[in-house]
Order: sequence, then C-alpha cells, then structure tokens
Amino acid sequence: MIDLFREIAQILAHNKMRTFLTGIAVAWGIFMLIVLLGMSRGVLNNFNSFESAENAATVSIWPGSTEKSYCGYREGRSIELKRTDINAIAEHNRNNVNLLLASKVINNVQISTPRDYIADGLFGVFPENQHTDRINIIKGRFINQSDLDTRRKVIVINSQTANVLFGEGVDAIGKRVDAFGLSWLVIGVYIHDWNKASFIPFTTAMTLTGSDGTVSNIAVKIKNVSTTEEGDSLDSSLRRTLAKQHSFAPDDQNAVHIWNRFTGYLTALKATTILEIAVWLIGIFTMLSGIVGVSNIMFVSVRERTHEIGIRRAIGAKPRSILTQIVVESITITTLFGYIGIVCGTLLTNLIAKLTEGSDMLVNPTVDISIAFKVTLVLIVAGALAGLAPALKAIKIKPVEALHDE
Amino acid sequence: MIIQLNDINKTYPGAVPLHVLKDINLSIERGELVSIMGASGSGKSTLLNILGILDTYDSGSYYLDGTLIKNLSENHAAELRGRMIGFVFQSFNLINYKSALENVALPLFYQGVSRRKRNALAMEYLEKMGLADRATHLPSEMSGGQKQRVAIARALVTKPAIILADEPTGALDSHTSKEVMQVFRDLNAEGMTIAIVTHDPGVGAQTNRIIRISDGRIEEPDKAL
Repeated sequence: MIDLFREIAQILAHNKMRTFLTGIAVAWGIFMLIVLLGMSRGVLNNFNSFESAENAATVSIWPGSTEKSYCGYREGRSIELKRTDINAIAEHNRNNVNLLLASKVINNVQISTPRDYIADGLFGVFPENQHTDRINIIKGRFINQSDLDTRRKVIVINSQTANVLFGEGVDAIGKRVDAFGLSWLVIGVYIHDWNKASFIPFTTAMTLTGSDGTVSNIAVKIKNVSTTEEGDSLDSSLRRTLAKQHSFAPDDQNAVHIWNRFTGYLTALKATTILEIAVWLIGIFTMLSGIVGVSNIMFVSVRERTHEIGIRRAIGAKPRSILTQIVVESITITTLFGYIGIVCGTLLTNLIAKLTEGSDMLVNPTVDISIAFKVTLVLIVAGALAGLAPALKAIKIKPVEALHDE
Repeated sequence: MIIQLNDINKTYPGAVPLHVLKDINLSIERGELVSIMGASGSGKSTLLNILGILDTYDSGSYYLDGTLIKNLSENHAAELRGRMIGFVFQSFNLINYKSALENVALPLFYQGVSRRKRNALAMEYLEKMGLADRATHLPSEMSGGQKQRVAIARALVTKPAIILADEPTGALDSHTSKEVMQVFRDLNAEGMTIAIVTHDPGVGAQTNRIIRISDGRIEEPDKAL
C-alpha cells in the first residue's frame, strides 16, 4: 500500500501542472459549495433567530379608520380598540385563541431622575410581552401578574435609558424615576437591538390614561393554525368579530389592521426552503463540474500514458494493478484538493462570520463540520468514479497496441 | 523445451483480413540463443508478441515451459509474463521519470516484492550490466547503449525463463550494437535462453540459430549455421 502511494506520488509529481489544474477544479468546487452553504446558512440562521414557529403564532391588531360607509356611519371614521374587544375576540374564536394580550402605548413621556431625563414611549404591557417582544432582561425582572393585579407603579427600562438616568455602571434596580408626576420603582433593565421603550403594567397604564378603555393594540396568541388558509380564515373571523363590536363593514380592510405573523412566517419559511434548495443545487453543480474536470483530466492522463501502461503490462503489471493505480490516483487528487477547498472555504466563512458579527444580515454564516465531512466523502466516491471510467478504458487496450502507441 | 509452437495461425480482422502467421511450428530449447529474422511485414513481430503473451493467436497451440498459453485471462497472462518472460525493446521502453534503479525494480513491484529486496536485486543486476554508478540517473541522462543495458537488467531481474528481444540494436550505432550483442552472448553463456527478433544479418550471425520468416511462414526450419 505504501508502495502504491509512493508510485502515485511520483506520477503526480511528474505531472505537476496537470495535477495542479485538476486539483484547482476540485478545490474550487468544494470551496464554492462550502461558501455558498455557509452564506445561505447565515441568512437562514438570521431568520431562525428572528422567528420560531411558536413565537410566530401571533396575530396583532391595530386600530385604523373605515373606508366604507356602513350602518349609517360615514367612511373615514376612526375605530379605536377597546378593552372590551378582548373578551369579544376570546368568546367568538375559542378554537384558535390561546392567549390575548393588549398594550397601551403612551407616547413621548418624560422620564426623569435628578441626574437627567429622556422622552420616549411608555408601554403598558402584560408579563407575556417579555417573550413576544423579545425583551432580554439583564437585571431584575419583567412586569409580573401581581404588578398587573395591584396596578403597581413599577417600570422596566432599557439599559441605555438606565445609563442616561443613573449613569454608567450604576445599578438602577430599586431606584426611582419620575414620570407623570408620579414616582416609579425600577424593577428591571433589558437590552434590545432597537427597542428603547419603557414598560409598565398594562393595568397601571390604563388607569393613567383615563376611563375610555381604549387600547393601542391587541395581540392574539393563536393555536390550531398550521396553514396559510387557516391563518387567513382566522384573520377574517377576527375582523368579523371586531366589525360587529364597532359597527364597520366586515370586509373593510382599513377599519382595523390585522397582521398575522404566522402566515408571514409560513411564507418566509417557504422562501428559505427554496433558498436552501437553490444553494444546494448550485453547490452540487459546481462540485459536479469539478468532478467532471477530474474525470476529463484522468481521461487525458490515461491517454497520454497509454505507452507507459503498455510498458508496465509488458513487465507483468496486471490490469487489476493498473486499475487500482488510476483509481487511487484520482481519489488522491480529489481528496487532497477537496480538503484544501474545505479548509479555504471554512476559513473564509469563519472570516465572514467574524466580520459580520452582530449584523442583521447574517448570523453565524458557517458550515457544520459534519457537512464538510459528508462533502469529503462524496468527493472520494466521486473521485473513484471519475477515475474508474478512464481506468477501465486503459486496461481494455491490449498491451501490444499500447506499446506501439508513441 | 522452453518454447513449443504447433500450427499457430493468426489473422488480423478487417475489411481485408490479414493472415499474418500461417501454420507456424517452432521449438526453442533451454539455453539456446536464436534469432528470428525476416523483412518488415513478414510477421516476425506478431510472432514475438505471441511468444511474449502480449498478443493472442487464432488456432494451434503454444507451450511456454510446459504451460499451455491459450485463452488466458489478462490477469493470468500478466502474471506469466512477469514471471517467465523478460522483454528488451528497440526503443528501450524505460519509464522516463524513473531512475535506472527504479526502472529495473519495477517488475518486482508488480510481483509484490518488498521495496528493500527489489532495490537490492535491481542494484545487483545494474552492477552486472556495469551500470552501478548510473543507478540514480534518469533515462534521459544516459546513452542509448546504457539505456539498453538498463532495459536488459530490467528483463533479467525477475529471473525469467526466456528473454525476448525485439530489434534490440535497432536504435544503436554499430559499436554499441556489438557491445549489446556481447551482453546477450555472455548471458547465453551463463545458460539464459534468448530469442532476438531482427532484420540485421549481422545480429543474426551472432546467434546460434536463425529462424527465417517470410510472408507468415517459417523458411527452411531449423537451418543451422
């Protein structure tokens, strides 16, 4: 076996240029496959970190204004969502409603401490909003049920807000801020990419804004919905419920805005599946062209060496040994250069991962090492197949004909 | 009897089939030095290829050292070729990227001899040919006579039953030809059986027996000189 590899090493070294060109074709194919897979993986990871099926099972409803006259009302009437709508929705859509949340947004509220102040939105929320809004608490806690029940004046603020109000490195938990002429206890600090709002209990926010019972939006956690059709029919059902509550046309798309994250998720999922398939196809075809390259070069190489193969057979080389030699030769080339391709591809994807760290475009655009190994395996098999055809052709030539070939 | 041919016929198929060997009967004894002479196209190369199991024949029988050579698988033929026959060619047929030593050792590689042993044996035969100092040289760095002696060393290294030489002096000048023929004569004196195909009467004259072939038939068989 060592002898065989010594023999092959000598042959490959003798034909440096040919070996090199073949190798480049293979290495390039693998390199492209790894990089493409890494990139698409990055896009997919980004999508996946954004959305999970569970998180996506949410329908959000915002108020709008009617665009159709109905029941004696003129078009252009503003519709406001009421707290009572929550019960109506729950009652009319029992099969699909898991949980109902509402939030009350109070815009442009000045929050101050003796040190400094900020002006931003104040959100009255439920404990579940921590998950739906992806609020990452780094200190303290989020709003809980007991805060809601007793309408506590507690607040959860962004870490940047905390830095402004209390100074950098100061623990804000347990300190107090002023807003609306009231004193609020800071119970939690969170970090988020873009959300800078401050959160207070929903019930407290409702109390603050008077007694008209309007809410800023309603979020419905849905269940038993798995297709786009089911999602769409739920949307119209919700719209009908609200139409009855607020006396607007059930087909009025503008009276309330309904955004079904789940159907959006399904569409995106389909798109990413297509992306993934496309990337695999491109990668596989790139790799195929590398393999065809190897096969081609092996054909040429065998053709060039017909005479040498004739000599070897005249001095007692069995067709079997010639076959083994050529096949192992092409496996050696594909494996060696395929490995180089994998290493380069992995290095590049890791470099890109470093450069794009924390960006919204790509998340960890690297390829699983197991995929790299699978690709190598495919490569070795492909190399063997690529070598087999020319090798079989080589041993079909009679030694006497091969010897005459100069 | 090392070689025994009985009524060998060989036709090359084609639009006009070419009957190149016609009822060839031939025997070569152990320890003989014979030459097979004939004009080009006489069928002598075909005969040599059949003797060397490089080619097949259509009818008749060929015994090599008592073994019937007929309908062999290519693997079996290769094995017999490697073990029993040493080839020497007009164009040397050395592998150009291998050193003299590696070329001589190559037949042993295909017989599964260990690297150390085959290099030792190869060196032994290079020394015998007076080329020990050329062991690491590539064929391109050697003269024609040296190349042919490397080729002879390669033919000898497997200790074959017979050496078949195809125009071994065809590419050499007259002085070198004489040297190479002397090598063959010396080997024959040590008991090696050698058959040389040639069209050069000077070469034929240095062998113990000339087998003349013309138009696919052996003329005046076994005419001793």
